[in-house]
Amino acid sequence: MTAPDFVAAVPGAVHSVGRDGIDTVHVESTQWTELLRAAHAGGYTRFLDLTAVDDPRRAARFDVIATLHSPAAQRWLRLCTPTAERLPSASAIWPAANWYEREVFDLFGVRFDGHPDLTRILLPDDHVGHPLRRDHPLGDEPVDFTVTRETDAPW
Amino acid sequence: MVTANETMRINLGPQHPSTHGVLRLELELDGERIVSCRPVIGYLHTGIEKSMEARNWLHAVAMTDRLDYLNPLGNNLAYALAVEALFDCEIPERAVVARVLLAELTRINSHLVWVGTNAMDLGALSVFLYAFRERELLLDLFEEMSGSRMMTSFIRPGGLQDDFPDGWMLRCERVLQELPPRIDEYEALLTENPLFRQRTIGIGKLAADDALAWGVSGPLLRASGVAHDLRKARPYCGYERFQFRVCTATAGDCYARYQVRIAELRESLSLCHQAIAAMPGGPVRTADRKVMPPLRAEFQHSMEALIHHFKHYTEGLRPPAGEAYVPVESPRGELGFYVRSDGSGRPVRVHERAPSFANLQALPSMAKGMLIADLVAIISTVDPVLGEVDR
Amino acid sequence: MSTSGAAAATDGGKSGSAGWMLSRLQDWSRENSLWPATFGLACCAIEMMATAAGRFDLARFGSELFRASPRQADLMIVSGRVALKMAPVVKEIYDQMPEPKWVIAMGDCASCGGIFNNYAIVQGVDKIVPVDMYIPGCPPRPEALIDGIIKLQERIARGHRR
Repeated sequence: MTAPDFVAAVPGAVHSVGRDGIDTVHVESTQWTELLRAAHAGGYTRFLDLTAVDDPRRAARFDVIATLHSPAAQRWLRLCTPTAERLPSASAIWPAANWYEREVFDLFGVRFDGHPDLTRILLPDDHVGHPLRRDHPLGDEPVDFTVTRETDAPW
Repeated sequence: MVTANETMRINLGPQHPSTHGVLRLELELDGERIVSCRPVIGYLHTGIEKSMEARNWLHAVAMTDRLDYLNPLGNNLAYALAVEALFDCEIPERAVVARVLLAELTRINSHLVWVGTNAMDLGALSVFLYAFRERELLLDLFEEMSGSRMMTSFIRPGGLQDDFPDGWMLRCERVLQELPPRIDEYEALLTENPLFRQRTIGIGKLAADDALAWGVSGPLLRASGVAHDLRKARPYCGYERFQFRVCTATAGDCYARYQVRIAELRESLSLCHQAIAAMPGGPVRTADRKVMPPLRAEFQHSMEALIHHFKHYTEGLRPPAGEAYVPVESPRGELGFYVRSDGSGRPVRVHERAPSFANLQALPSMAKGMLIADLVAIISTVDPVLGEVDR
Repeated sequence: MSTSGAAAATDGGKSGSAGWMLSRLQDWSRENSLWPATFGLACCAIEMMATAAGRFDLARFGSELFRASPRQADLMIVSGRVALKMAPVVKEIYDQMPEPKWVIAMGDCASCGGIFNNYAIVQGVDKIVPVDMYIPGCPPRPEALIDGIIKLQERIARGHRR
C-alpha cells in the first residue's frame, strides 16, 4: 500500500504498513502537531483512539499512538511518536481527543500542552502515581498460602 | 434557595437506576433544563490493561469477556483477531463462519438487553420482562455450548475453544425462528406508542457532523445518517460473503436510534440463519500448534499433542514481536484491541478501543437544553457499558 | 440500635411467650420482604437483572421491588467489581440504608476481588462494609443468587440482624 499523500509533506515522517494492514507513520515529537494537522487536512477527520506504550529502558519512554479514520477513503491510520513526558494536545483539531488525552495523562503521566482540562479521568482525583507505567507495581494483594519455587515450602 | 437567574448543580449517579452502570453526571440545571452536563467516569476502572500485562496472552482472553459484559463473544473476537494478526495463522473455515454466528447471536443478546432497559427507563416495564425472556433462550444456547451463560471465552486466538455439541445448530435454528414474532411484539408495544414517541422523537439530536467529530460509532452514528458499519467498511471473518444491509436513520434523535437497533436485530437474525446454512464441517482450531493446542481426543495417540496442550495452558501463547489493531463492529460501535508483543509470553501492551468511551464523550452535546427526563432517554439510547468505558 | 426499644420487649424470651412470638413475627416479615437497593456495578448486575426477570423471578421470594433510594431498601446486593473511586460511594450507600440491613456480596469480585488482583479493585467489598452472604461465581447463575438470598432469609429467620 502506498503512503497517504500527506506523509511526504511532513519532515521526518516514516511510513510503514503494519501486520494488520494499517498505515503506520512514525515521527519525532517535535513534528507531532504538524503530522496531526496534515492528517486531518488529508481526510483523516475521525479520531478513534489515543494510547501509549511505556518502555522505561528508553529516554523517550512513552510511545504515544493515535488511531485515525478517513470516512472518505475508508482507510485507517496509526500515528506514533516517542516522548519523555509531554506532547502538544490534539484536542483543538479533534474534540474527540479530549478524554483520550486525559486517560493517557491519568495512566501514564504524559502531559498534553494546550489541553482544556487535563485532570484524571479514571482514577480518583487525589490518586498518586501513574499505574500503567511499567515500573509501577501491579498493586496486587499477596495471596495467602502461595508456594512458589522461590519460597521454601514448610514441609 | 435558587433565585431566578441562578443555576442549580445536581449530581446524577453513580448509584442511579437509569445510568446504565456506574456513570456519574454533574448537571447544571436551569429549572428542569440542562445547561451543561459533565460526565465523570472511572467508577468501574478495573485496571484490566495492567492486569493483562502481568498475565499471559491466554489469561487475557478471560479478561476480555468482562470488558463489555453485554458483548463477551464480540470482545473475544476482537482480541483473537488482533493476536492472530501478529501470528499470521490460518483459521479453519468452520471457525470463521462460527465466529460470525456467535458474534451476531451476541449482538442480538445485547440489543435485547438494550430494548428492555430502554423501555424500562421510559416506564414500559413489560418490555424488559419480555426481552429478558428471549435472552434466556440465547443464554441457554451459550451455556450448552461453553458451560457458561455469559463469560464464555469461547472465541480464542486460533479458532474456537471447542466444537458445538451435537444438535446445537438445530436448537439454535429453532430459537432463532421464535424471535421474529417476539420482535414484532416489542414493536407493537413501542413503535407507534404515543408515550414512547413523545419521550424519544426530537430528543437528544446528534448531527452527523458532530457524530463524526466526536469519533462516535455504531448505532449512534448510523442513526444520524452516516452509513458506516465495519462489517462492510473493513470486513473481517468473511462478512463480505453474507447478505445484510447497513441500518440507518436520518433524524439522529432517540427514536432514530431505537429504529436502527430494532432493524439491526432483524438483520442479525438473517445473518445467523445465513451462517448456520453456510456452516461447513471441519476443525475449529488452527493447525498451527504454536497458536492452539489440538483437541483432547488427540492425546490418545500423540505425545506431541499432550506436550503442546501442557505448554499452551501453562505458558500461554507467544505471538511474534509486533503490534496490531483489528477493529470489529460491536453492538456499540467500533471495538478493537491494540496489542503489542515483544515475543515473550507476556503482553507488552493490550489496549481496548472502547466504542462507549467515544460515544459517551458526545453525551454533553446531546443533553444540552434537554430536560432531566430526556437525559434518561438519551443515556439509554447511547447505550454505554461502563465496563468498557472504564476498563 | 434503632430497634432497641422494641427489641427489649420482643427479644427472645421463653419459647412460646408473647415476646418470642412477636420476635419471630418480626423476623418472618423481614426475611420475606427483603427489598434490594439497585446497586448493580458490572457483569453480575446483568445476572441480577436476569434473576429479577421472568424466568427466575426474584419477586416470588419477597424481593418484589428494587428500590432506587437506599433509604427504602434493606438489602444491598453488591453485584460487580468495586473500583477505588466507587468504594466511598458503596460506603455512603450502605450508611444511608436504615437498620436492619443486610449485604450480599454477589460474585467473585465483590467477595474477594475476583480475577482482578490489582491496584484498581478493592479486594472484596467486606473491606468496606460488613457482608452477610457471599455468593461465588463469575458471574453466579441466577439460581446461585436465589440460593444465597434464601440462605440469608434463613439466617434472618433465626434472628440474625444488623
